Amino acid sequence: MAEDNTTALNEPYRPYGADIKETRPYSPCRAACPAHTDVQAYVGLIAQGKYTEAFEVITSVNPIASVCSMICHHPCEQACRRCGVDEPLAVRHLKRFAIERSQDYRRAKRKLTKKTRGKSIGVIGSGPSGLTAANDLASLGYDVTIYERHPVLGGMLASAIPPYRLPREMLNEDIDDVISKGINVKTGFEIGRDRKLEDLMKDHDGIVIAIGLSQSRSLNIPGVEGDGVLLAIPFLEDVAFDRKPDLGKKVLVIGGGNVAMDVARTARRMGVKDVSMVCLESAEEMPAWKWEIDEAIEEGVTIDNRWGPKAVKRENGKVQGLEVVKVNSVFDDKGRFNPSFDDKTTKIIEADTIIITIGQMSNMSFLKDGPVKLDERGLIQWDRDTHMSSASNVFVAGEVVTGPGSAIAAVASGHRAAMALHLYLQGEEIKGNLPEHEKDKIDQLPGKVVDLLDREQRQEIKHLPPEVRCDTFTHFEIGYDEAEALKEAGRCRGCGGGAVVDPNRCMACLTCLRVCPYGAPKVFAVSEIRPEYCQACGLCAPECPGQAISMVSYDVNEIRSSMPDIIGKRDPKRSDPVIAAFLCTHHTGVGGFNVPGNIRTIPVHCISRVDVLDVLSAFSNGADGVAVIRCADGSCKYKGVAKRVSSRIGRARELLSMLGIENERTEMLTASSTNGNRYSSVCTEFSEKIKELGLRSS
Amino acid sequence: MIVGSQKPIDEIWDMVKEFKRVIVFGCNTCVAICHAGGSKEAETIASMLKMRSSNEGVDMDVSSTSVMRHCEPEYFDEVIDELRSYDLVLSTACGVGVNFLSERIGNIPVYPGINTSFFGAVPEAGVFEELCAGCGDCILHMTGGICPVARCSKTLMNGPCGGTNEGKCEIGKDVDCAWYLIVQRMKDLGTIEKLSEVIPPRSWSTSRDGGPRRVSVEHIREYEESAEQKTEAGGSK
Amino acid sequence: MKSESNLEKVIASGNPAVTAELGPPMSANGHEVREKAKLLKGFCDAANITDCQTAVVRISSIAAAYMALQEGVEPVMQMTCRDRNRIAMQADLLGAAALGLKNCLCLAGDHQNFSAAGRLKGHPGAKNVYDVDTCQLVGILKKMRDEGLQEGGDKLEEAPKFFIGASWTPMGDPIDFRPVNLMKKVNSGADFIQTQGIYDIEGFRAQMEKARNLGLHERTAILGGIIVPRSGMMLKYMDSSVAGVSVPKALIDRMMKAKEAAGDDKKKAKALQEAEGIKITIELIHQVLETPGVKGVHIQAIEWESAIEGIVKEAGLYPRPSV
Ligand SMILES: Cc1cc2nc3c(=O)[nH]c(=O)nc-3n(C[C@H](O)[C@H](O)[C@H](O)COP(=O)(O)OP(=O)(O)OC[C@H]3O[C@@H](n4cnc5c(N)ncnc54)[C@H](O)[C@@H]3O)c2cc1C
Ligand code: SF4
Ligand code: SF4
Ligand code: SF4
Repeated sequence: MAEDNTTALNEPYRPYGADIKETRPYSPCRAACPAHTDVQAYVGLIAQGKYTEAFEVITSVNPIASVCSMICHHPCEQACRRCGVDEPLAVRHLKRFAIERSQDYRRAKRKLTKKTRGKSIGVIGSGPSGLTAANDLASLGYDVTIYERHPVLGGMLASAIPPYRLPREMLNEDIDDVISKGINVKTGFEIGRDRKLEDLMKDHDGIVIAIGLSQSRSLNIPGVEGDGVLLAIPFLEDVAFDRKPDLGKKVLVIGGGNVAMDVARTARRMGVKDVSMVCLESAEEMPAWKWEIDEAIEEGVTIDNRWGPKAVKRENGKVQGLEVVKVNSVFDDKGRFNPSFDDKTTKIIEADTIIITIGQMSNMSFLKDGPVKLDERGLIQWDRDTHMSSASNVFVAGEVVTGPGSAIAAVASGHRAAMALHLYLQGEEIKGNLPEHEKDKIDQLPGKVVDLLDREQRQEIKHLPPEVRCDTFTHFEIGYDEAEALKEAGRCRGCGGGAVVDPNRCMACLTCLRVCPYGAPKVFAVSEIRPEYCQACGLCAPECPGQAISMVSYDVNEIRSSMPDIIGKRDPKRSDPVIAAFLCTHHTGVGGFNVPGNIRTIPVHCISRVDVLDVLSAFSNGADGVAVIRCADGSCKYKGVAKRVSSRIGRARELLSMLGIENERTEMLTASSTNGNRYSSVCTEFSEKIKELGLRSS
Repeated sequence: MIVGSQKPIDEIWDMVKEFKRVIVFGCNTCVAICHAGGSKEAETIASMLKMRSSNEGVDMDVSSTSVMRHCEPEYFDEVIDELRSYDLVLSTACGVGVNFLSERIGNIPVYPGINTSFFGAVPEAGVFEELCAGCGDCILHMTGGICPVARCSKTLMNGPCGGTNEGKCEIGKDVDCAWYLIVQRMKDLGTIEKLSEVIPPRSWSTSRDGGPRRVSVEHIREYEESAEQKTEAGGSK
Repeated sequence: MKSESNLEKVIASGNPAVTAELGPPMSANGHEVREKAKLLKGFCDAANITDCQTAVVRISSIAAAYMALQEGVEPVMQMTCRDRNRIAMQADLLGAAALGLKNCLCLAGDHQNFSAAGRLKGHPGAKNVYDVDTCQLVGILKKMRDEGLQEGGDKLEEAPKFFIGASWTPMGDPIDFRPVNLMKKVNSGADFIQTQGIYDIEGFRAQMEKARNLGLHERTAILGGIIVPRSGMMLKYMDSSVAGVSVPKALIDRMMKAKEAAGDDKKKAKALQEAEGIKITIELIHQVLETPGVKGVHIQAIEWESAIEGIVKEAGLYPRPSV
């Protein structure tokens, strides 16, 4: 896309290396994320304590980041290459941390976007896909109106996902970010009922239908009609909008998916002690996420596997229970859903209320016989490559067309639809120009590399104890504190953020190959650093005699080029020496250093990146001493760093001594990275030593 | 490859101190491999010169750049105008590069930023060893593949001399005696008999002693010429 | 006779030959050469005049040799390959012959690095030449003498008649190649050989046996090298540091004992060690001469030329035959 005005859509904030990353395989976490959130970038920023930058990376592709930080099913974690070592990064929880730390920042930065396009868009539905489309189109300068039949925005996030998992304040932060761009909101406004689609099409230059799947499917079994049998979505909506129904003493939930878990756990929180579930699948086959099942069981929910519903038993119209029949198998030989039953084995499960949670569908009645055509199954006809419906200026997004999935997948769909509509209105080709679903990704860690990595347990995500949490709809999960977040972020291997060789500068000297602790470089005509091996430690770049190596995730020249600012003004009559201190931020973050002002701190992700030229530049800009302070042995997350860097210090000393600068002015020191105070005392001691040695005059 | 080594900054300073605008010009092939004069070291020298000039209170503008090779004009074509905007080019290429650029840059001095040492190999990271002296008349087939011209301190053709001591050369315990190695190697190869023959005085005319040398590969030159004619015919020159 | 030199004649006569060594001074005054020549006169058949030994600048071997000749001592002019190319060498050889010099010993020469080894500054930065090596220089001399041709092939009006010598380090590394090394020198035309100093007589004899097996003792005259020991320290140093020299422990012990016998008296210690050194020398001379294939001895009393007289007499090698 050679279009300048489309860039705003995808690139409101570009972390360092964003462009080069597009030319290379993605980190698997990023590739797995439907919105391709640059996990490696933001986790790396968190590890350095740069939380608002991390927030920017996250929200650059995800307008419902707060929501995702709470409820995302995090395919990034399932794909994380640390799975091959110990456990995946707690990516979602880190996202939550970064967002919590950026609360004030995000509020302060909300502002209207200019409506530069002179065109208006109507978005029907305010779930993740609708919000995303609205957000993107507003950012592009369109005048956007959202139509939502519910009294509040957010789709399923607001009306179905129970608040103990998704506190509404968090959702509202996201919604406020979006709406503050100047989007018009019409809530309690149902298209079809309050205005016909045909009319709406006249009101706007383009329409996005993002109505999701807001109706529950029911079962066709005897006794299902009548009181005491509820459908999941209306039930959850009632709870969400505080119309809590009476459930009796025993609740039985039919279904084994995630929504079923939400229903059961919601029932527990409504004071029902006896909540059970029945589903066709065995425990292993259940479609719900394992952690959802575990949490439900912790909360006292019981699950009866491999039974199929046969009839609702009633006495005087009042529900008594559910007759179920034994399941032989759920899937046929070909793995298709095709349950078979053992009709002879049945039983009755007692219940006062039965809640059916077996899937959702859309209410498309308002589309009947209109310009947007439905197919024979009653679904909207659309083109996946263009997100266009049969009506040319009506586009579709989210689960209404993709079928059930995750919030973040709906976000991705919303981005595509918005881009498609934008291209359409610009008169440009849509096909081939939408963000791709599938991205090349870096392979799993080679065994050789796994052997070199230290095992480091994932920081535990704490929950309220089940006794406490079942009594309330309060959010049950506790966020990381800063130390935990830094530690967890420090586990990331920086996949895809590593070294890249400029073939025009490489002369195949093999230095990188000799330096790399992980065997990443392969040198043929020029060096090629294999991303699946590279741990992004940064050790190689300062060694390359051709300066051919750059790092994807940071600018290798940055420190020396900003050295004048880092050192700043130097008082010729100062009594304390000016010290340039390169400090490893591992487990400490940039905020972890509390040192006197004469010590100019230069936080680095690892001292591996400190170049001889950086040290020279510190002196050249007036430092009286340079300390390179690494984290203590054993806590360094890379191999072989100390030895290499101490050779560099040796080299720097050799050069500096030719200029009459004493060796003692350059030192590599160690401090414990789990205790920021150590850094201060190491710095101060060094500073005292330099003071004794004397200040440099010129 | 050509191995170079760094000059002390004092020596470089003495060379450059009279100049106002100096560019350190790195060469990213041989001398980069031996960490003497590649882009990285050019920048290092530039940075040292900046510090030195400010220490001396001299107003000097120092920068650095580099290209892949200094010994073929196409490589430095794209920077030559930039180089010409300086008062001095301190080349960290081997001496070949310094000579070559001197002939082409016009009236701007090109000074050597490093010492060109020898042709060598890299037996291990950071170690560079002279193995050939470029004598122009290779006799390695007679000496078990070990060159007495480059590796015997006396370039003996019928060694070893009496100075061999436990396999080391008389000049120092850290220098292998080439002839000791030759004898061992030829024993291992089963060709030691060859060493009974006296190698007669050789002609050094193919080596440096014959004057500056030049190799001309005619079929390549012809090709180049015809390529030139083509462009001339195309009227582009 | 190839050269009519005294040394050649003595060897031809079947008598054991005796050569000694005369080191020229770092001076423009030749007086010291003459003095040393006087000390040697009558006690050797010829005296080697070193050619800037250990790469230290001294009176040139040709000039010093000529002075020795004037003093009545036949010189063996030494010529190293270190300092001259084949042009300078041949020119010097013609000049030497014109001055009446008849013996020439061809050597590679110590590397210029050595010149700065002791207290001297020397010329470690000198450019060495090594246009040709020992074997090749021997070959050049032979070609000049026997064919009347220069190395390049041009004819000489009159050929220089040299008795051609070369050195040999029988005990040097690689030990099994040393006989071949000798053979190459002989094949190139060496008429006589002077060896590196011998202390380890067993080792020397073993190498001589190999040389004999190659028939070399019949094609060249091998003079065994004897370096007169002056102190225990010197023996120790030679054992540890001089290439191709190993000194049996028994000899070192004898010298150390002599030193200890003097107690704290330094002067006495020196005298006792020198006496013991001369004793050892005489024993070595006999052992070397008894070795089959050996045609004489080359006695080096470094900066101690006055000792030669006593040694030669006591070894029963005096008077020197006049042939
Ligand atoms: C109980 C539950 C739990 C879930 N938990 C998770 C989870 O933990 N993690 C996760 O990633 N995903 C979860 N999901 C899925 C996620 O909520 C959906 O994937 C996502 O909401 C789909 O977004 P959407 O924009 O396509 O549609 P929706 O969110 O369904 O939004 C559609 C909106 O359109 C409105 N609408 C419909 N028709 C009209 C009309 N005619 N006029 C105006 N407005 C209309 C609806 O009221 C609704 O607000 C859960 C879903 C449910 C039901
Ligand atoms: S280690 Fe980090 S970059 Fe690599 S997959 Fe996991 S989260 Fe992504
Ligand atoms: S260190 Fe640099 S120049 Fe050398 S092989 Fe690696 S990338 Fe190429
Ligand atoms: S040294 Fe580090 S950054 Fe460089 S290739 Fe190896 S792992 Fe990657």
